[in-house]
Amino acid sequence: MSEAPVRPQRREATLYHALDGAGAPAGSSLSSLREQALRVYESSELPVWRRSGFWTTSFADLDLDALEVRHHASDAGSAEGARTGSTLPALLTATVPDRPRAGRIVQLDGSVIHCELAADLREQGIVLCSLEEAAEREAKTFERWYSHRLPGDRHKLEAANSAFWTGGVFLHVPAGLRIEEPFEIVHLLGGPGVAQHARVLIVGEAQSDFRVHEYGLAEDFEGQALHTEAFELYLLDGARCRLAHFQDWGSGEVHDSCTRYVGVGRDAYCHWLPALLGGHLVHEHLELAVSEPGGDMAYRGIFFTEGEEQLDVFAVDLHETGPSGGDVHWRGAAAGQSRASMEGLIKINPGAQQSHTYLQLHTMMLSPKARIDAIPSVLVSADDVSASHGGTVGELDESLIFYMQSRGLDRPAAVRVIVEGFFEPLLSELEDEPLAELIRSRLAAKLAAANADIEAYASSR
Amino acid sequence: MADLEIRDLHVRTEDREILKGVDLRVAHGEIHALMGPNGSGKSTLANTLLGHPAYEVTSGQIIFNGEDITAAEPHERANAGLFLAFQYPVAIPGVSVANFLRMAINAKRDEPIGVKEFRAMLTEAVELLDVDRSFTSRALNDGFSGGEKKRAEILQMAMLAPQIAILDETDSGLDIDALRTVAEGVSKLHAQQGLGALIITHYQRMLHYIEPQFVHIMLDGRIVLEGGVELVERLEREGYDEIRKEHGALV
Repeated sequence: MSEAPVRPQRREATLYHALDGAGAPAGSSLSSLREQALRVYESSELPVWRRSGFWTTSFADLDLDALEVRHHASDAGSAEGARTGSTLPALLTATVPDRPRAGRIVQLDGSVIHCELAADLREQGIVLCSLEEAAEREAKTFERWYSHRLPGDRHKLEAANSAFWTGGVFLHVPAGLRIEEPFEIVHLLGGPGVAQHARVLIVGEAQSDFRVHEYGLAEDFEGQALHTEAFELYLLDGARCRLAHFQDWGSGEVHDSCTRYVGVGRDAYCHWLPALLGGHLVHEHLELAVSEPGGDMAYRGIFFTEGEEQLDVFAVDLHETGPSGGDVHWRGAAAGQSRASMEGLIKINPGAQQSHTYLQLHTMMLSPKARIDAIPSVLVSADDVSASHGGTVGELDESLIFYMQSRGLDRPAAVRVIVEGFFEPLLSELEDEPLAELIRSRLAAKLAAANADIEAYASSR
Repeated sequence: MADLEIRDLHVRTEDREILKGVDLRVAHGEIHALMGPNGSGKSTLANTLLGHPAYEVTSGQIIFNGEDITAAEPHERANAGLFLAFQYPVAIPGVSVANFLRMAINAKRDEPIGVKEFRAMLTEAVELLDVDRSFTSRALNDGFSGGEKKRAEILQMAMLAPQIAILDETDSGLDIDALRTVAEGVSKLHAQQGLGALIITHYQRMLHYIEPQFVHIMLDGRIVLEGGVELVERLEREGYDEIRKEHGALV
């Protein structure tokens, strides 16, 4: 980041690029990073992403000046406590499965309002707290990993996040600990007019084994709101993590701009499934990088757009060293007049020999006015690797619908079975039935909302 | 009383008239065989009876249990007690046989079927069809062999307990053991549940295991000859040419 003044500019790209190791310079203080990001924020305009020949994603309609970061009191007096969920917002209790968990941290708008961690886990050295607290109390880990592989200045909203984030989430799992139940991270948008700049830092030390479920939720409301997020997860030697995101911003004009990075260390493993199931305008850069030899990953993804939603996903499967393994599998559907744009990139860097990976993108069109663009890309700079991709673009198969109708299912039920079946290969491997069931029910609700469009499409063919 | 009555049925698809006036009655508990050369309209009749949207009924009626179902939706016909075992069953990825059956059974009921009751029904049907229990946890027809698909059709029929089943060339593509299993399954359902069936077939071999009381010969979209099982033997001897000559005026 340069100290020189930066002239106002519109940052536009014709191709999407992997982060590829970009991050804050070693030794940067939090305050200096905030200051540098602030300069970029002030000198740049709202981002417009262009993928040449395919799509344009513009946040230019966002009225940033009308948004504010709102703060709320914590239910425990401090950000860390072991309270019951009785005071939690109804949206959370109605959405997030009521099931055993290792811990839970909740951020409403600009504030962490709830944090719970089982006492025995705290005694074993696990830390779950706000990132603001971690910057003070866990300074060594914070300084080592904060923004380690996340840039903070590629565009105005990324810079806004780096400059203005509040609350935040910090999870540190010590070496060798195996935790069966998930840690839950919940981001809630309280209503229109809110800007939430969320920040998550997770470090899994060597041989740790744990699960993280992150939720992004908002009620249906009228008006604009903004969620930006910078998420970083580092898995050290032999660590294993099953990571899932459930995003449903409701029907409000929620603008969501996220950069998420997962770094897989030596012999470590990550199973990652983002489920992007609702948002007015969403831009996600999701990068899973095998950073050291022996790392392996299963990178899954689900999206379903309907109404007038617009989604832009850049999913990166990066191999910085070899030997390494990768397996990327995304499935998405679009209904209504929605637009889903996705680029899946396999990138194998020079020297990452013996990397083996496969990328598959499957999409289903449910409406003539919906549009899905899916681009699989492969950039390989090593000669002893295997990297390939495949994909399908499908529509509802009338022969399948008739088959199910002939067994007594009405047409909407038959369509639901087909769409659920389309996503099921990814849900069945989640190894978490409450979360899988939540995703299924959200898919069913989106499908029901799109039913009129789907029928119109069927009768027009 | 005929449970299924087809009256002067004319059906068109893609601007071509396929059925040109079919009359047929199938009563509960009766076994009928429908035979005819390729392209005579047998599968069109089967699909039309279940309301396939690609087939347009231009005139005539389909009456089931006294109700005119000519314009009914496919699921309404199914829930009224009609069943079609498909010639080419489609795969439903991501949906297990058991889950699909549970959905289909629940579609007929006000209250969802209980876990115990469903399990008992499934066990009985699995034994009837001589299939491995693990079969029911596989995605329906996804990666199934030809024989497995046909067994899955009969398994569904056993679970859904229709009054009248139309079996559209269920015997095609089956080896002799699979054919026997499928045929025995149909026979047991006939004996136990009083199933009425319209068995569409090209061959005599299926009818060795399930003897039809009535045999109908279809040529060029019409049923031109009806009789008992002796018709099957005649067909084996003479083929369709002799019948075509006899009924040339009709076709």
